[in-house]
Amino acid sequence: MDYVIEMLNITKEFPGIIANDDITLRVKQGEIHALLGENGAGKSTLMSVLFGLYQPEKGVIKVKGKEVSIKGPLDANALGIGMVHQHFKLVHNFTVLQNIVLGMETVKGGMLQTADARKKIVELSEKYNLFVDPDALISDITVGMQQRVEILKMLYRDNDILIFDEPTAVLTPQEIDELMKVMKGLVAEGKSILFITHKLNEIKAVADRCTVLRRGRYIGTIDVADTDKETMSEMMVGRKVNLTVEKAKAAPKEVVLEVKDVCVKSVREGHAQNVVDHVSFQVRKGEIVCIAGIDGNGQTELIQAITGLGHMNQGEIFLNGENVTKKDIRYKNTHGLSHIPEDRHKHGLVLDYNLAYNLVLQQYFEPKFSKLGFLKKDEIGTYADMLIEKYDIRSGQGRETIVRSMSGGNQQKAIVAREVMKDPDVLLAVQPTRGLDVGAIEYIHQQIVSQRDSGSAILLVSLELDEVMNLSDRILVIFEGAIVADLDPKETTVQELGLYMAGSKRKEAGHSA
Amino acid sequence: MSVIYFIFQQTMFFAIPLLIVALGGMFSERSGVVNIALEGIMTMGAFTSILFLNLTGKTMSGQGQLLIAIVIAMVTGIVFSLFHAYAAINMKADQTISGTALNMFAPAFAIFVARIIQGVQQIQFSNTFRIESVPVLGSIPVIGDLLFKNTYITTYLGIAILVISAIVLYRTKFGLRLRACGEHPQAADAAGVNVYRMQYAGVMISGALGGLGGLVFVVPTSTNFNATVSGYGFLALAVLIFGQWKPVRIMWASLFFGLTKAIAAAYSGIPFLSNLGIPSYLYKMIPYIATLVVLIFTSRNSQAPRASGIPYDKSAR
Amino acid sequence: MRKRKFDYTGVLSSVFAIVIGLLMGLLILLLCNAGQALPGFVTILTGAFTHGAKGVGQVFYYSTTIILTGLSVGFAFKTGLFNIGASGQFIVGGFGAVYIGIMCENLGSVHWVVALLAGVCLGAIWGLVPGLLKAFFNVNEVIAAIMMNYIGMYGVNWFVKSYKPIFNNIRNESKPVLTTANIPKMGLDKLFPESSINGGFIIALLTVIVVYIVLDKTAFGYELKAVGYNRNASRYAGINEKRSIILSMVIAGAIAGLAGACLYLAGTGKHIEIVDVIADEGFTGISVALLGLCHPIGILFSGIFIAYLTAGGFYLQLYEFSTEIIDIIVAIIIYFSAFALIVKMLIQKFGKKHTEMKADKGVSQSGSGKKGGVEV
Repeated sequence: MDYVIEMLNITKEFPGIIANDDITLRVKQGEIHALLGENGAGKSTLMSVLFGLYQPEKGVIKVKGKEVSIKGPLDANALGIGMVHQHFKLVHNFTVLQNIVLGMETVKGGMLQTADARKKIVELSEKYNLFVDPDALISDITVGMQQRVEILKMLYRDNDILIFDEPTAVLTPQEIDELMKVMKGLVAEGKSILFITHKLNEIKAVADRCTVLRRGRYIGTIDVADTDKETMSEMMVGRKVNLTVEKAKAAPKEVVLEVKDVCVKSVREGHAQNVVDHVSFQVRKGEIVCIAGIDGNGQTELIQAITGLGHMNQGEIFLNGENVTKKDIRYKNTHGLSHIPEDRHKHGLVLDYNLAYNLVLQQYFEPKFSKLGFLKKDEIGTYADMLIEKYDIRSGQGRETIVRSMSGGNQQKAIVAREVMKDPDVLLAVQPTRGLDVGAIEYIHQQIVSQRDSGSAILLVSLELDEVMNLSDRILVIFEGAIVADLDPKETTVQELGLYMAGSKRKEAGHSA
Repeated sequence: MSVIYFIFQQTMFFAIPLLIVALGGMFSERSGVVNIALEGIMTMGAFTSILFLNLTGKTMSGQGQLLIAIVIAMVTGIVFSLFHAYAAINMKADQTISGTALNMFAPAFAIFVARIIQGVQQIQFSNTFRIESVPVLGSIPVIGDLLFKNTYITTYLGIAILVISAIVLYRTKFGLRLRACGEHPQAADAAGVNVYRMQYAGVMISGALGGLGGLVFVVPTSTNFNATVSGYGFLALAVLIFGQWKPVRIMWASLFFGLTKAIAAAYSGIPFLSNLGIPSYLYKMIPYIATLVVLIFTSRNSQAPRASGIPYDKSAR
Repeated sequence: MRKRKFDYTGVLSSVFAIVIGLLMGLLILLLCNAGQALPGFVTILTGAFTHGAKGVGQVFYYSTTIILTGLSVGFAFKTGLFNIGASGQFIVGGFGAVYIGIMCENLGSVHWVVALLAGVCLGAIWGLVPGLLKAFFNVNEVIAAIMMNYIGMYGVNWFVKSYKPIFNNIRNESKPVLTTANIPKMGLDKLFPESSINGGFIIALLTVIVVYIVLDKTAFGYELKAVGYNRNASRYAGINEKRSIILSMVIAGAIAGLAGACLYLAGTGKHIEIVDVIADEGFTGISVALLGLCHPIGILFSGIFIAYLTAGGFYLQLYEFSTEIIDIIVAIIIYFSAFALIVKMLIQKFGKKHTEMKADKGVSQSGSGKKGGVEV
């Protein structure tokens, strides 16, 4: 049996935590091998060890049967190992060709030579059906194309062990299909692929074998064809996962949020089309309405138009029947709107403020917390302690903890606590569980449901189909900025939802359903 | 006509040091390190090289002496810039603070050492470097008067640096790698480029050109060095932004700034301009006001290297 | 409890920078003239006390200006802005004070107050410009402020030189202000006889206290700091971040303008000199702010410390060293305090990893605990 990579009994410790505990990973020649695990399972640490960014305390790495010592990315590259990173490593104002040759340039008389490189790139591009224009600027091509440039970078370097780190997160379903074809083509040509993911469908679709990690430990390696998704999921999470949220039937009451004919034009030059295209909908008290769609179909712009964080070219927003289109962010904040933002570090928290200050981020000026312009620090502290207790926010030094030092899950809990505690009429929850582990996800789902039951209207934006199906009472599908369907989750299948999200089914069908 | 020749020659005296220093700043910023210390680097370069001119004034003269001074200025600039490079690259310090410290250090050091050596802070030198007319070329009509009379070899050096800079930046492996580091150091690193080494190279080039610029600034316009380059380092930063980090645009920007400086310095001797009655202070202010106006129009779509000023941390991925 | 730990590492890093700066200064003295280096170095440290109370008074007098420019820089820093423009704000503020101080003869006992306010207003305007550019056009405030420094310096020189009533032709500087425009001594001349100290020092102290209260105790300070830490989150919180940036620069400019007014209204023979050089006081303010960790109280102490070194430096001439050694030492201190920020961050980073892991462990333990509970 030929293994191209063998990572045997790898142990990597950081102060206070064992990130990789006796992990073994073996990739066979010519297979697609999936590496499955939750956030924080130790996948990225293991890859950093493989690329020489970390040196393991214990364990052996063998490449093509030979024991090797990898000191850095250059060593890995010399051994034929290449990686498509989750966040592409491309220079935006370089051409495709410049990005590919960077670090491997051909030079003659001190000047860059590109003729040979161009020839090789065109050949590779044709051989693997990648269809990339070598002279296009990176900033001008789509995300899917950029990913192909990353693949070409590896091929140009004659890598034969290719690692894909969560490659589908940023792609549309069509692009995902294309990628799967490309991956199979690569394997057919004799390359070996290590495919890092937490999406079971993709593993089923393309992988031969799968190694599962959980909390830094090696759980097992399985043949994908012989294993069902439930088993893999259980291996990944460590128990039977019941992502079905316990909730009573929704009892929608009066409309509290109404969005009327909202359009947002792209701010990028040369893009005239609407990124949010004549969107109208209502959300009632006591229901969870979910906006489902693939990332980048206008969800962010729509939510930012509603909150006022972004601009809006047309349309109106009503909050409790009042037209708040022209009102500023603070007015909406103080008149019944709460918002769990998409990016907790960018918008949700002032990371260098302590926890208490963050818990009053939209309320510090209210009479409860300030008087004549002076902050009432004692009241702020007491309030913070109450939230910390009630919502079980864990941190090193309680309310005095600088938020930057808290874990992602607890940061998100703090945001949820703050927003829910305002007892809003409308709660906008944008990808509230992104990047969290299962425990925290369950917790946040419970909070959202109980907020619904206490009479709030919830507008949820999610990219995760499971979350959409389990949590919502009503699903609005957004595609290219327009709402293409209004569905009842109980009468819809995941497959059908996927078709709407991919734009291959449209509103007309939605109406008849 | 002679007025135009005179203004043009004066413009070159002011524009060439700006060009050289701004190109230096370009290399630093294109590698991802903001170099606000250009003023201090110029001061140090001018200090050591002028001191050399002073000390060898009795035994040497002419272009040979100037060439050695040029080397000394560049080496000084490199050495001094290493402090900035170490702080910015190794220690990941705030680049503005480190640059500010170097800017404070340079004039104090120049005065202190000058006093120790010769008692007074002003360093005199005798200017034996002016070229009345370049043989053959100087006798070409118009062009000879514009470019090859009453000039210094440093002018041609500046032009050469411009051409070389443009080629290095856009046509060589080094330039490609340098630009990658300034835009997306993680990408460069992943492609096997040693980001720290490229950033050191960028800062050291800015040191060499900054030091040279200090000498080039002092020689044609003065006969002594008084521990200051009169804000030219800061002006070069403005030129760099005005020129949007691109060599040819930097040239136009430095010519424009040089022209206003030349007019401010010489307008009283030019009947046409002195009759306009515009005070010299207005000419002195024009480059700075123009920069503010240009900033207003360009900042939204700035071409600044994306990673410039952000310390590159290999471990943060 | 809350901030003690933070301040501890901060102060430690400043002390570290000061020690290195002084040692390097000593080294330079040794290299120049080994025989006189030690006495020279001792003079730097003790020179300030040569004339007893008078000497101490002089130190406070020198510190007045740089505490204020330091506060200006430090205040803007809290909103995430680097106010390298304190020099320009300082000189236009000084000009405003001098103009009122000479031209308005009939103001009587409030003359100095009006002159002071004129300085504050002009400084504020000079801070307003980069603030507006930053808020509305996203112009880098460092570059804009550098430009404003030169525009201010040339503008003031132009105006003073071309306006006869305030220009002293012979000395090429501004004329002295009327005695009614001099800041009263406020009793400080009794405490420190013969020294140049005046009410300006008390004004500086009051400004320190006001800035401290504004930044630490008020909702306005909460907003300014939030904007400094994270502009996007501030917008999300409903804070008008453009307003905060503009106000922060205006206030920083006003404080620097106050510094200029305090210097030229001190009645100690300081006049605006017509030289095409940017005022040093603004750059010294950067040093003071950085050394004082941009905290108002820290700035008070670091301002006095640098004034004390400067005072000691005057007496160095006895040993054939020039006073610039002080600037060299201060520059080295600033250079190393830039490192110290990193040292501090490393300490915090280590602490962060530690607590993060603890917290993570806490969560996972609770997770498994919960699971156990379900199973039971």
